[in-house]
Amino acid sequence: MKKENMKFEDKIKTLEKTINELESGEVDLEESIKKYTEAMKLVQECDKQLKEIEEQVSKIVLEDGTEQDFSIEKEENTLD
Amino acid sequence: MDINKYLTVGALTRYLKMKFDSDTHLRKVYLKGEISNFKAHSTGHFYFSIKDETSKINAIMFASNARKLPFVPKDGMKILVMGRVSVYEATGNYQIYVEDMIEDGVGNLYVAFEQLKEKLSKEGLFDPKYKKPIPKYPERIGIITAPTGAAIRDILSTIKRRYPICETILFPSLVQGDLAKDDLVKKIEMAQNYDLDVLIVGRGGGSLEDMWPFNEECVARAIFASKIPVISAVGHEVDYTISDFVSDLRAPTPTGAAEMAVPNVADLQEQLKQYQVRMKEAMHKIVNYQKIYFESLKTSYVLKNPNAIYEPKKQQLDLTYERLRTIILTNLERANNHFTMLKQSSVLKNPNRLYDPAKQNLKHMIEKLEMLNPLSILGRGYTLSYQEDHLVKTIDDVKIGENLQIRMQNGIIHTKVLDKKGLES
Repeated sequence: MKKENMKFEDKIKTLEKTINELESGEVDLEESIKKYTEAMKLVQECDKQLKEIEEQVSKIVLEDGTEQDFSIEKEENTLD
Repeated sequence: MDINKYLTVGALTRYLKMKFDSDTHLRKVYLKGEISNFKAHSTGHFYFSIKDETSKINAIMFASNARKLPFVPKDGMKILVMGRVSVYEATGNYQIYVEDMIEDGVGNLYVAFEQLKEKLSKEGLFDPKYKKPIPKYPERIGIITAPTGAAIRDILSTIKRRYPICETILFPSLVQGDLAKDDLVKKIEMAQNYDLDVLIVGRGGGSLEDMWPFNEECVARAIFASKIPVISAVGHEVDYTISDFVSDLRAPTPTGAAEMAVPNVADLQEQLKQYQVRMKEAMHKIVNYQKIYFESLKTSYVLKNPNAIYEPKKQQLDLTYERLRTIILTNLERANNHFTMLKQSSVLKNPNRLYDPAKQNLKHMIEKLEMLNPLSILGRGYTLSYQEDHLVKTIDDVKIGENLQIRMQNGIIHTKVLDKKGLES
């Protein structure tokens, strides 16, 4: 559950650390299989996150501090 | 007359030059005036004079600086220059060594820019040690710029194209005109209350006056005070503002700022693929190594020749057995020898020797016993008196009238006590 909440940056960092460990060859077989499995899962999570992107809606903060959705097109349409 | 009082021209000129050069006011002079006698030498140096209504000064601009000028100076042109004033020894003239020159008009702003830049630089606001790193994978980006126009469109479209996972929050601000600086400061301060990974502050291209709010001291200080890393993106590649110097990262354009702020999804996917390849290779290596190790175990001498494990033990057993056998045999032989020796001993051959002395001894003993036998003295006339079975030793043992038995050498006499009388001793 905790991994799901990890920031993308932390995931990448964890991956890099794991890969370096595996490449060092200093991890025993059992441990490396565990690490490999975890890292592969993480790669897939990241990949999924990148592929199934929900485009974030831009927000605009108005003078009074309230937030609204914001898009260039809409903005330009209202200008027309 | 002391000839030593008189200076050479050279010495005087060098003294004057030293005076000029040691004066800090003369090291950096901002000067305005009009060009006259302009001459561009074939070496690339510019020689000219700068004059106003009352005065004139000679000026030289070396090729290294002259080359950078975006315009060609000419006589009559109103200019603003920056340079140092010193003495040219050969002619004894003081002159200004111009480092930078702009046309007057935009001139006031330029001077203000240089002065503010120097002031803030001295205060350390541009020091690299204050530059905050820009996070690689931001989740929320704040944008401070005009809500319409090329800048916001470029920034948002670039972010959406490269890294659409990222949230963007626009803090719309005036970006030109007199009110812009205060609005920019207000929005920068407002943005601090949002959980932002990076803040892009900027606007599209325009004239120097248009971009001026980004050269205001209050804006520079607001950017410097920002807890959120700031990417400055003002105008085009060639435009430099104070905001650029004070921000954590300067982007050449708003599009550039967006590119610097977010990674590219395509690159990331490529990176993830690389990770997978590297992990697989590393795993392959580890497994291979284990395989080789296992193989080496399998083919090891002991596993191939299990006898080797107990052969040495067997050998040891054989040796022990052999030693034991030798010991037993030796002991047997020793016992046998002993027995033979015993067999041949004189005692066994002549056993009388063992009991002859005893026999002699016995004879003596018998003789001795013979001598001690109380009955044997009866033969010499002694008798023993008994009453019943008790030996009577004194006269007190019997009373008159009692019966006695008297043992003689060859028989017993029954008698009666008639009288008894003690002997005087």
